[in-house]
Amino acid sequence: MTDSFLRGAAAVVGVSEFHYKRGESPDSELRMTLRAIVEAAADAGVSPREIDGFVSYGGGENDGTVVGSSLMSHRIRWSNMIWGGGGGGAAAAITNAAVAIAAGQAQCVVVYRAMAQQDSGRLGYAKHHFDGHMLPHGVGSPAQACALRTRRMLEHDGVPESAMRSLVLADYFHAQQNPSAAAFGRPLDETGYDASRMIVEPYRLYDCSRENDGAVALILVSADRAEALGPNPAYVLAGSQGAVGGYAVDTENDLDYTSAGFGGTAGVAETLWADAGLGPDQVDVVQVYENFSGSGVAALIDHSLCPPGADAGKVMTVENLTAPHGLLPVNTSGGNLADSFVNGMGLAVEAVRQVRGTSTNQVPDATVSLFIGGPMAAVSSSVLLCTRDVL
Amino acid sequence: MTPSSEVAREFPATLAGPYADGLDLPYWEGLRAGELRLQRCGECGLWIWGPRWMCGQCQVFDPEWVAVEAVGRVFSWSRTWHSFIPELAGELPFITVLVELPHAGGRRVLGLLTEDGDADIAIGDAVSGIIQQPADAPWPLLRWQRAGTPPETEQGEHR
Ligand SMILES: [Zn+2]
Repeated sequence: MTDSFLRGAAAVVGVSEFHYKRGESPDSELRMTLRAIVEAAADAGVSPREIDGFVSYGGGENDGTVVGSSLMSHRIRWSNMIWGGGGGGAAAAITNAAVAIAAGQAQCVVVYRAMAQQDSGRLGYAKHHFDGHMLPHGVGSPAQACALRTRRMLEHDGVPESAMRSLVLADYFHAQQNPSAAAFGRPLDETGYDASRMIVEPYRLYDCSRENDGAVALILVSADRAEALGPNPAYVLAGSQGAVGGYAVDTENDLDYTSAGFGGTAGVAETLWADAGLGPDQVDVVQVYENFSGSGVAALIDHSLCPPGADAGKVMTVENLTAPHGLLPVNTSGGNLADSFVNGMGLAVEAVRQVRGTSTNQVPDATVSLFIGGPMAAVSSSVLLCTRDVL
Repeated sequence: MTPSSEVAREFPATLAGPYADGLDLPYWEGLRAGELRLQRCGECGLWIWGPRWMCGQCQVFDPEWVAVEAVGRVFSWSRTWHSFIPELAGELPFITVLVELPHAGGRRVLGLLTEDGDADIAIGDAVSGIIQQPADAPWPLLRWQRAGTPPETEQGEHR
């Protein structure tokens, strides 16, 4: 037990997520955001007008004053963007909402993210990174930037390629039970994976996340309010974020090059476990942001959920990674690869479902649920959710 | 360094050139002068890359630009098969190398390998830089090719 003032102070009480094929949303990002928030509020049993805090990450034009005004919020008290680009701030956004509530700065906070190609184009969250010291050298996409790191993780650190494949196959396995997953009804086996075309070595087509149009919203309130609202809040146990390697300005010179950004002493993962007062072996289920399979593997290694080097292959098997009986069930809705990708925030909703007991791939008696945000980004973040009896 | 006419494979110069704020202008001017230049703090000797306005260790602004011998080893690499950058679509597949520079404190710089895209590259391979000046591009670019002999290992500080 630690004395973190965040521990159990706030809980997720309502969620919504929906997605379309990329470019096929009938609605703008703002309209989708409002729809997701109204649905999440209904799920929570609160009025959208009592939402007084707004947090997002990864960019987007629709800040809290725009969204809150559209909802006719009584008072907008908290309007924050997690800086740091891409999905790295996804879990930090949840922590930021919990901080506002714990500190009394807001009472009902929504975390939201929407993506529509018609509004922000392809990879709208990542464009800034590729400048005159990346593009002329053939590096113009997150896939290529992450591939360089994953190549070294495989070739130098000795992580076997099977670790990547197992993560992909686990995602696709779980998607077969999730009717809203993009890959529902389209199972993938080793043969299909191995036969898929190379995108940027060492990534094959199936190693790369899809991009969707869509929106996600999660509503948080104080623990007291949460208890009054319903039987199964997902309490924020601990949250951690940081930019430890210098990724933002170091142009591939950041420390711990094969890390996903959570590792090292005083790193994001270490403070997460310390604040939570528990260790990786006490986590029941994990949603790991895998923009690419290799960076997802690196994030699991950073969190000590999987050993580094060749031993990673022993933990990273399809059997271990799949619910309900695997030792380390990951991405139980299908993840970014096989469910949907709205800048990775669908994973946070699935982390909540596991605490509620409503996942389509429910881990029996799950009480501690980890969401790891975007790896290999300027900022990295993760958050632990739990049932009340863990607190 | 080797003039571009001797290079087997020349790539288009996509979006090369300095930032609008001029921070990295000496880098590009260095290439025009036939040199790879990186920043080094005159106070503490720290090699800096990417370009920065100040040395964070001693808060000295505008670290000077120093010529570095463009030889090193492959720290990592990738082979791109998908057309992410339209200007390079005709060059697929191509290999991007991340090169560790022993003469610049182990700093790493990116560059395209001028060999065929199916070259059997590996981490640790010795490479040397060449400056290409594509005909219709405003700025030259540093590319890399495999070297016969590995460079001397000069252990510099790496932050
Ligand atoms: Zn200095």
